[in-house]
Amino acid sequence: MKLALIQTGALARRAIIGTLRTPQALVPGLFFPLVLMAIFTASFGAAPGAIPGFPPVRSFLDFAIAGAILQGILIGGTTAGAAFALDIEGGFFDRLVASPVSRTAILIGRLVGGVVVAMAQTLLFLAIGIAFGVRVEGGVWGVCVLLVLAALLSVAISGLGVFLALRSGSAEAVQGTFPLFFALLFFSSAFFPRETMSGWFKVVADINPISYLVEAMRDQVIVGHAPRATLIGLGVVVGLAAAAIAACWAAFNRRLEGPL
Amino acid sequence: MKHTLSVSWGLAFRSLILVRRMPSVFLPSLIMPLFILVSTAGAFRGISQLPVFGGASYLAFTIPLATVMGAGFAGINAGMTLARDIEGGFVDRLIASPAPRITLILGPLMAAGLRSLFTTTVVLMAGLIGGVGLPGLFGTLVIYLLAIGFSAATACWAMGVALRARTIQAAPLMQIAVFLSVFLSVAYAPREALTGWLRHISNVNPVTYLIEASRAAELSYLGWDELWKGAAAVAIMVGLLGLWALKGLSGLARR
Repeated sequence: MKLALIQTGALARRAIIGTLRTPQALVPGLFFPLVLMAIFTASFGAAPGAIPGFPPVRSFLDFAIAGAILQGILIGGTTAGAAFALDIEGGFFDRLVASPVSRTAILIGRLVGGVVVAMAQTLLFLAIGIAFGVRVEGGVWGVCVLLVLAALLSVAISGLGVFLALRSGSAEAVQGTFPLFFALLFFSSAFFPRETMSGWFKVVADINPISYLVEAMRDQVIVGHAPRATLIGLGVVVGLAAAAIAACWAAFNRRLEGPL
Repeated sequence: MKHTLSVSWGLAFRSLILVRRMPSVFLPSLIMPLFILVSTAGAFRGISQLPVFGGASYLAFTIPLATVMGAGFAGINAGMTLARDIEGGFVDRLIASPAPRITLILGPLMAAGLRSLFTTTVVLMAGLIGGVGLPGLFGTLVIYLLAIGFSAATACWAMGVALRARTIQAAPLMQIAVFLSVFLSVAYAPREALTGWLRHISNVNPVTYLIEASRAAELSYLGWDELWKGAAAVAIMVGLLGLWALKGLSGLARR
């Protein structure tokens, strides 16, 4: 057990260092969400208090920061999955499997690496937001809840990426899922409240799990004590993370059993 | 002159035929403007309740953004195709041939313009399906011409990058600059609604005046003021970025 933990730690450390040493993997997850957040804040700054249905917020930046955090984790998760696929393409995965390394550690190490990067990214986004005037109404507790939600989302997204990597063995195939996440993000309440949407778009946003997740994150910033939204968000992300881990495990065993 | 045009057309045709032979290269540039149209108009529809929108439909307000983005993707495609041709050695063979070198720029430029006609048509059709009618013959013509102008400007930018970097790995640089130029303008809201730094940047960003002219055409309030500013913005962008591409071409020829 202790050995498996050490191996998991070593593989997680490798995943983190790999991300930090690859600017093309790290920069998109930081650059795009922050730029979009800045542009949306400047474009829609007049919306709070002026549009019926818009939740009471101090500024649009308070509203927008949860969407930026979520977008960063979606991009980072896809990158983590692609990195795992590169390990498969490059033969590192086969060498790991042939070694006495715990097989659980191979999977969990990669996911833990993604979680650490996602939590650091969340703290960075919050720090930048606070520097520009964001106030987290939930205080330290709210930040902790945000970190838990970010960590679980990272497990779900990285897990899906790892699953695809195990099934396809191709980094390109994993990167190809990015437009799907992009669509999920934009067809949700990540950037604007559901209460202001209408028609079929609102129906899609209502059934999109990302909406509930981002609303749970956002309520930590703009409301503070929001048990209902938090529980719904937690339920959604725990379900997604559990499904991703189960899929990963099944794909891992299937890959070890023989050629796909 | 006739020879230059016929070689340019040949290169443009070669680029356009890829649409049929390699749809995976072209489809994203067609799908993205539609995605931007639907997701922007759906997600941010509520912002149009601000008095500054004057009751305009947000879908109609977003159509010029989508046509401009479609034109931008057509321009980026021109640069990416040129970068691939440089890597693959096609450009070297063309330079060694008696074909005028300017055709290396004119051909992809023509292809970008023609592709932007296609993406603009698709976006306008999507608007029709969403209940936004065409803005009359003159307004529609202005929307098409501005899209062609933007595709030419972005094609010159992307080709200038391709001629200097000489690798397809420079594609993100081509894309990011075009995205930023569009999003740091009046992409989501009119200038009167913008706040802080974005308002200052959008005031000096020529894409602002291009989108405003296209938007005025789409929403049927196009006047001389919007038209000349939009046309001047296109002329400035095409002129400066054309020089950027030509300088890149002379650098390539001097290798």
